[in-house]
Amino acid sequence: MRVSRIKAITKKELIQIGRDPLSLAMAFIMPVMLLLIFGYAITLDVNNIRTVVYDSDNSSLSREFVNEFKRSGYFTIVNNITDNRDIDKYLDSGMAQVAIVIPEDFSRKLKGSKNGDAMIIVDGSDSNTATIALGYISAISEIYSQKTKGIKITPLIEPRIRVWYNSELKSRNFIIPGLIAVIMAVIAALLTSLTVAREWERGTMEQLISTPVKSPELITGKLIPYFMIGFIDVLMSVFMAVFLFEVPLKGNFFLLMGLSSIFLFGGLSLGILISIVAKSQLVASQISMVATFLPAFLLSGFMYAISNMPAALQTVTYIIPARYFVSILKGIFLKGSSLKLLTFETFLLMLFGVTVFAIANRKFKKRIA
Amino acid sequence: MFERIKQMIIKEFIHVFRDRRMIAIVFVTPVLQLLVFGYAVTTDVKEISTAVYDLDRSYESRELVRRLESSGYFNIRYFIKNNYEMQELLDAGKVAAAIQINRNFSSELKNNKETEIQMLVDGTDSNTATIAMDYANRIIGMYAKEIKTYNVSKSSNPLSPSLKAGLDVQTRAWYNPDLKSRNYNVPAVIAIVIMLTCLLLTSMAVVREREIGTMEQLMVTPVKPLELILGKTIPFALISFFDVFLVTFVAVFWFDIPIKGQILLMPLNTAIYLLSVLGIGLFISTIARTQQQAMMATFLFYIPAVLLSGFMFPIENMPEIIQFLTYINPLRYFLVIIRGIFLKGNGMSMLWQQMFALLILGISVITISSLRFKKRLE
Amino acid sequence: MEENNITVRVEGLTRRFGSFTAVDNINLKIKKGEIFGFLGPNGSGKSTTIKMLCGLLLPSNGKGFVGGYDIMKESEEIKKNIGYMSQKFSLYDDLTVEENIDFFSGIYSVLNNKKKERKEWVLEMAGLKDRRDAITKTLPGGFKQRLALGCAILHEPPIIFLDEPTSGVDPISRRNFWNLIYEMSKAGITIFVTTHYMDEADYCNRLSLIYRGKVIAEGTPREMKEKYMTKDILEIETERFVEAMESLNLKGIETAIFGGLLHSTVDNADRSIPEIKKILGELNIKVMRVEKIVPSLEDVFVKLIEVS
Repeated sequence: MRVSRIKAITKKELIQIGRDPLSLAMAFIMPVMLLLIFGYAITLDVNNIRTVVYDSDNSSLSREFVNEFKRSGYFTIVNNITDNRDIDKYLDSGMAQVAIVIPEDFSRKLKGSKNGDAMIIVDGSDSNTATIALGYISAISEIYSQKTKGIKITPLIEPRIRVWYNSELKSRNFIIPGLIAVIMAVIAALLTSLTVAREWERGTMEQLISTPVKSPELITGKLIPYFMIGFIDVLMSVFMAVFLFEVPLKGNFFLLMGLSSIFLFGGLSLGILISIVAKSQLVASQISMVATFLPAFLLSGFMYAISNMPAALQTVTYIIPARYFVSILKGIFLKGSSLKLLTFETFLLMLFGVTVFAIANRKFKKRIA
Repeated sequence: MFERIKQMIIKEFIHVFRDRRMIAIVFVTPVLQLLVFGYAVTTDVKEISTAVYDLDRSYESRELVRRLESSGYFNIRYFIKNNYEMQELLDAGKVAAAIQINRNFSSELKNNKETEIQMLVDGTDSNTATIAMDYANRIIGMYAKEIKTYNVSKSSNPLSPSLKAGLDVQTRAWYNPDLKSRNYNVPAVIAIVIMLTCLLLTSMAVVREREIGTMEQLMVTPVKPLELILGKTIPFALISFFDVFLVTFVAVFWFDIPIKGQILLMPLNTAIYLLSVLGIGLFISTIARTQQQAMMATFLFYIPAVLLSGFMFPIENMPEIIQFLTYINPLRYFLVIIRGIFLKGNGMSMLWQQMFALLILGISVITISSLRFKKRLE
Repeated sequence: MEENNITVRVEGLTRRFGSFTAVDNINLKIKKGEIFGFLGPNGSGKSTTIKMLCGLLLPSNGKGFVGGYDIMKESEEIKKNIGYMSQKFSLYDDLTVEENIDFFSGIYSVLNNKKKERKEWVLEMAGLKDRRDAITKTLPGGFKQRLALGCAILHEPPIIFLDEPTSGVDPISRRNFWNLIYEMSKAGITIFVTTHYMDEADYCNRLSLIYRGKVIAEGTPREMKEKYMTKDILEIETERFVEAMESLNLKGIETAIFGGLLHSTVDNADRSIPEIKKILGELNIKVMRVEKIVPSLEDVFVKLIEVS
């Protein structure tokens, strides 16, 4: 390997990147945009549940029951209806997600020392929201139930629950470290997946392969400039996470950057491999969407817990590097994990990077056919 | 004029499919994406791996543990012997929850005295944590009530306060009674998968001609801008249409997602939806000079569009400004429509507002993009 | 086992693409310092041959040696010792002239102390000394070709392969380009050129004519003309030449159109000239000129193609 050749290629790529400011801008905007969306726009917390009330009893007791829901802050009463059939209308159209149905003998039963009845209908289509809503409903009902009995009954078994690592259960702290993994995976692919295919399409690759340049020199030369961009992206993301979103960084910053670099190396090499195999930019773009974005987003454990997936899919996640990087990120940010705890993941990421690099080298042929 | 358009459409098809792999990509990847999404995206929380530190080892403590496990929500993987192990398992991420039952658990229960249970929850996945805590609370609460009732019945004091009337609340979940997140997510995935394929194809195909230089060649022919636009969008509309059909087929027959509404509404709404998507693809092709730029711009649009569409995160939980922004996201309307058709059995009467909005959006986008495209050509 | 002077040797070289044979059993021997021309119409297999010699394509059959290295097994060695200019312009459009030169300098590992010298030499040769900062895309065609040639020889290779280097270039630039090639040949560099311009063939030391993948003739330009033309060529300048051509052909005199003129192939010029005048006169076609000319390579070629 000659350094002079690698240098020549790196320099050329840098010049070309510099002459395409639009792409460069997008490479920096993308992480910022994603972080802002996940940090500010999106939340898993459920509140503002639209509720419609059908109260046939209309007593002070029934009104108080409905009030408990309002007071919790989670439910927003959109209407009080008088016709049974309107329930369908509201739920079908999505105008309400919950319907509280109170029969006319509600207060009578309660006063007569019998158990009162109420029915609550929940729109189950969004099961996540529904599950959480049901949780709220049962808690609120319990509170009201105790109130009607007039005494505060202390439960026989009191669960003392402590939450570790993310004690305020801020969904943001949970999401953002993993998000960095997704961002890096996508960026890496976007940066490099077109670079080789582009040269084939423009004809410059034919000239290049008639020269003594070797395949590892070409690949390394192309990796370096995109690595630099990717590294800046990681830095930017970490800074935003820590300073803008106040996600705690309990572990070592340098360890974080070091392991991110390993991941970056793998992601970029994968992009180059796609570029080599695809030969056309259109094909490359489609492949990279499936091979990098999807797995990073869905199968890395970033948003959807891997343990909830069917066994077959869980096995697949073992070969997805983003999975290990997500663990590493969550570990370093939230648990303060040291390298010792992360050796397994680190080793796998290195293995991935080296393997993909090697495959890319083998696949790159200095021939036209 | 139709002849020219027809020729261009044929040429586009030849181009796209010249590389055999494109056939696989254009038709296989949407199905693949559907499968992955369908299986991976489940917010159903179950089998939370748990450790139990039972110092009491009584009938009651074991019964409580049994209930936790048989609920299906907790997967008791470790019975630990000391505090240190608990910490280790949580740190290493091997369990997401740990329960500690103290030595005098059963004796206190038998004497109707209040007792405590310690539970540690890994908060890094706050969604799971919240749900885990909720389940635990309910299961423990129910067990406590039963024991109390049993104790009270033994004590034969009829005026005991715990016997006073309480509240029975029945809950029912409509449309998706098993609360399977899959039924909610899979139809949505159809919308998302199509958007990306269609966007990428449209934007890249146009820009490709510009990059290679054949666009110039086209410009010296009598082809009119409108014909060019149609020639470039119709092929991808057709491909996307076929993809929708394919993916819906898989959704219904593989995942058993029910379609409660009228199936014929699907093609109609897909057409309206595609108007917007093609328009956006066309727009991207007017700002990108190279395929690299086209790809990046596509992703730059696509990712926020998906995240802020109500696909995974309900729009009503977002800040006001963002909610406002989502009005120009075609995905937002199409998701409501498609979920309505699949899950709620909605018909035209329910959906017409969404459809109308989507139509207006589509026409506007296509018009703006076409005008821009025309201008670019001159 | 190379004869001392042969730098490029090819035996039975064949290349198939599916059922189509692009290059069919070609034999070549090229001497050091020669300007060797590979002539033929489009699609005859010229580019395919060059690509095989440069190690860009593997042959289906046959053997080849460039600079003593085997084109099948030692293509990387070959690439160190050659310069290649492809048919389609393949330098980086978005780089400046100087940046392109610097790039290829690096790729060919030109020694540090020679880099500047070579760069200036190429800039001078290409006439781009005051355009070194121009973006390559903006250069006119002729300059692009010269730049491409320059970049291909930065490392002073002993053998150069040029695939249709002057296509689409104006005649004056073409002439200048060939002057460059002469200079290099004088310095001992072997040059393998493909072209479909017949007039450029005259500039080469030796030629091979290729048609549909097969070599149909070879030799020096002069040899070609003498060996293959056993007949005389008459050039006729006349009005209504299409009509004239058809009539002559009907009367058994082989005639073809060359530009606005006619070329007739006859056994004996002295006998045929008056005959032609008579035929055309009877049809009232005015004849401005009929004379014997030295056959051009184009004539040779057309003849040979008809024969094959």
